[in-house]
Amino acid sequence: MSEIVRMVVVLSLIAGFSAAALTAANIQLGPRVDAQTDFYVRGPALERLFKKPAKEVLENKIVITSDGLPVPIFYILKDKEVSDLAVEAIGKGGYGGDLKIMVGIDLVNERQTGMEVVSHSETPGLGARIVEPGFRRQWQGLPIDTPMALTSDGGEIDAISGASTTSRAAVNGTNDVLVFVREHKDEILKKISER
Amino acid sequence: MANTFTETLTAGLWRRIPPFRLVLGLCPALAVTMSAENGLGMGLATAFVLILSNGAISSLRNVIPSKVRIASYIVIIATLVSIVEILMKAYFFPLSEQLGIYIPLIVVNCIVLGRAEGFASKNPPFISMVDGLSVGIGYAISLTLIGSLRETFGAGTWFGIPVFSESFEPMTFLVSAPGAFITIGALLALQNIFSRWRGEKFIQG
Repeated sequence: MSEIVRMVVVLSLIAGFSAAALTAANIQLGPRVDAQTDFYVRGPALERLFKKPAKEVLENKIVITSDGLPVPIFYILKDKEVSDLAVEAIGKGGYGGDLKIMVGIDLVNERQTGMEVVSHSETPGLGARIVEPGFRRQWQGLPIDTPMALTSDGGEIDAISGASTTSRAAVNGTNDVLVFVREHKDEILKKISER
Repeated sequence: MANTFTETLTAGLWRRIPPFRLVLGLCPALAVTMSAENGLGMGLATAFVLILSNGAISSLRNVIPSKVRIASYIVIIATLVSIVEILMKAYFFPLSEQLGIYIPLIVVNCIVLGRAEGFASKNPPFISMVDGLSVGIGYAISLTLIGSLRETFGAGTWFGIPVFSESFEPMTFLVSAPGAFITIGALLALQNIFSRWRGEKFIQG
């Protein structure tokens, strides 16, 4: 009997110590891991959207919770006014799972500045061509108050040939961002001015 | 004491160098050695885990009941590996992206469990950590060697620096999976020929 008790106690103690060590490591290094992830994963997309080095932009980050999910938003200021936003979104229904995209929004001219893919798991040669500039260039200059759609759905975006599922996921993700920005614009601006 | 110390320290570098002598830990040795840098990173991560897990397990060797020892070892090793993973993500992000799933898989790397069971559970903490250091460094050297060979002849670079003139046509197959088997097989054969010529016994482990 005492042997069993000893086993339970020793295992529980080891597990407890391990959990404590891991929690400590996570709390200590969590912010650094987040910063590194931002720099290497989101950095390239932000550089292209804002046409500025990622280091300058990454500091300007706020997170807004929408429907229980955190939405990271990056911004740049011009004359102390917020001029551009980059909102991250999930493009639901890609061929190999959801896409993670970043949509650039020019608040001054009320236009989109572009769409960047942060991460995806689409088929190489088909859906993976979403990272090529040719397809994504179609986003530049589109209005932010009307939803967009593929040409096959009566819209203005030409889908990647052979990958309309992927293209549609990107379009849907963008539409989510447009709705999100419209509904949360005041909250976003308030949160930025509080920083 | 001094004798066992030097013996333990050098054992991992030749007499039981993994993965050649101690034929354990072959999975990462085959999978991540596309380049010298990946090999070195993986080797150092494993060495770090080995040293600390050997130290922790050997300090607890009289406390852990023998019936649950494997479970306890796994918990300790898994914790250390998770810490390594967080550290790599925080300080060497591109490398951790390249090594991907093979970092968490150090948990089931048989070298770590093998040294815990075969050495640390029977010896005091200090000498166990020396053993972890020696086997870990041996593993790092082996992986870097395999990675260097594959990268040099398969891609024409070493740690990312071009080593051949532009007329060199890289043997691309060396950086794909079959190249790993061939490289490790050739190195094993060379080592056995050398050992036979020196008249050493073929000891495994």
